[in-house]
Amino acid sequence: MLPFIKPHPLQKVSQSFRHDLLDMVYQNGGHIGGSLSSIDLMTAVYFGNIFNFNRDHFILSAGHLAPALYVILANAGYFPKRLLDTYSSFDSILQGHVSNEVPGVEYSSGSLGQGLSFACGLALGEPRHKIICLTSDGEHQEGQIWESLLFANKYKLGNLINIVDFNQFQIDGPVSKIMPLNDLAGKYIKFGWTVTTVDGHNFSQIISALENAKKSDYPNCIIAKTTLGKGVSFMENNFKYHDVKNLSDTLYMKAKSVL
Amino acid sequence: MTNSIRQAFGETLIKLAKTNKNIYVVSCDLKSSLFLNDFAKKFPQRFIECGVAETNAAGVAAGLAKTGKTVFLTSFACFSPAINWNTIMQSICYNNSNVKIIGSHAGLLSTDLGATHQMLEDLSLMRSLPNMEVFSPLDALETTKIIKTIAYSKKPSYVRLVRPTTPNLFDSKLNFTIGKSHILQPGKDITVVGYGPILEEAFQVQAKLNLNDKYKKNSLEIINCSSIKPLDTATILKSVKKTGRLIFLEDHQKNGGLGEAVASLILENNLSCKFIHLAVDDSFGRSAKTYQELYNYYGIGVENLLSAVKKILLK
Repeated sequence: MLPFIKPHPLQKVSQSFRHDLLDMVYQNGGHIGGSLSSIDLMTAVYFGNIFNFNRDHFILSAGHLAPALYVILANAGYFPKRLLDTYSSFDSILQGHVSNEVPGVEYSSGSLGQGLSFACGLALGEPRHKIICLTSDGEHQEGQIWESLLFANKYKLGNLINIVDFNQFQIDGPVSKIMPLNDLAGKYIKFGWTVTTVDGHNFSQIISALENAKKSDYPNCIIAKTTLGKGVSFMENNFKYHDVKNLSDTLYMKAKSVL
Repeated sequence: MTNSIRQAFGETLIKLAKTNKNIYVVSCDLKSSLFLNDFAKKFPQRFIECGVAETNAAGVAAGLAKTGKTVFLTSFACFSPAINWNTIMQSICYNNSNVKIIGSHAGLLSTDLGATHQMLEDLSLMRSLPNMEVFSPLDALETTKIIKTIAYSKKPSYVRLVRPTTPNLFDSKLNFTIGKSHILQPGKDITVVGYGPILEEAFQVQAKLNLNDKYKKNSLEIINCSSIKPLDTATILKSVKKTGRLIFLEDHQKNGGLGEAVASLILENNLSCKFIHLAVDDSFGRSAKTYQELYNYYGIGVENLLSAVKKILLK
């Protein structure tokens, strides 16, 4: 008989964040697929008691995952949760792509491949603090990423952690078809990084990888195997849900019920 | 005082860095060309070498600046801001990071290097970005003053430097102020506006006018528009109101050049004036042994300015 494994307490927390995400994009639209695949990662970063964001920094390089970060920051008390309903509206601070107009956001992005360079600059300027960057797998097709990998290796940025939301999809289809990354972990290792591969929906694995990364002398990459649209069965691994304009009442109800 | 704009930059930065511990240099494998060898030796902890990777360098500079540093991102203009424009837009300007972009070897003055290195589009790339301030020093002395000024500003800025030694024209008694132009020579007939060492041509043309019986009474009002953004609109408008004639002279593409912005300024202010814009007209540069050959070929040389002066007086 298999032993009964108690679910990690953050499982319940991120489940409620998924409901917030669906409520947010129901009327306003947004990049739901990647937000659902990365929300567990951001939950671990912000609610795993690993980092102190009075001094440590989180840089969202994949700026289209703004809905996920906004949900996290609202629930962490950076701004009132009711603002989530105003996402991407004219008079809202919640810009479509992540913006530092929003309390708690440290870096505005949307154009891919840039956040890791910015994180390298922070890591160099504040060697005693931890810099956590979140990139997407598709984003690794940008040349700038590879320039920053060389840089982090040269300057031995042990306080830098890059989490890759490896959901295997990008806007037009599977990463493996558009431009394959093949052995991404192997590539990071060759570039002089410490690499850990985890199940990006398993909190014990994510948290222990982050704890280990905190102690490293070399730049750290955590490749988090995730599922696009995780939690909403009909969105899972369906790249049509990379970005939605809004959700019909029927789809919204269906998504809420399957969650 | 040196008459090398690049050397003035490198030496000024060392002087500043001795007292200001927050000054950092981000380099893209061009430290010798930017006279930064001594900086790298004296302040190795504050000299960050990124290699030939200008896009990452712009992002690193932006992140470093967010930790309270004043970061000078240094390369040739044809690489930075030409290669890394989108990173400058997002990571530096949109995030309002305190990065000073130094683009050296701009314009046709990089004579023998040819089209790929004679950056003629940098000012249009930089002027169009919100939060960005843009400067083009007249000479080595003004370079020193501009670098000292921006080192204590918190905004992103771009400074255009050139490769060769150039005559010192800036009055050492004057200060550089962001958003202010200087009238290098007062005159009554034609306003000549430009930026950078090319303005020296206007003095040569004035000397030629003085020797010519027909023109010896004509005088040029020469304005050094080194603060390209913000632009000193008041000084230009006041001068054009007086002269009714404007020649804009620049070692840059006409398309997207500052001359276009000044023409639009004149129209918006309901001024009528005769206008000639001397700039590179939709062409790539090419190699030559002297800059004069190139300036004549592209229509921005002394003789071209003299012809424009005669033409605009007839108009």
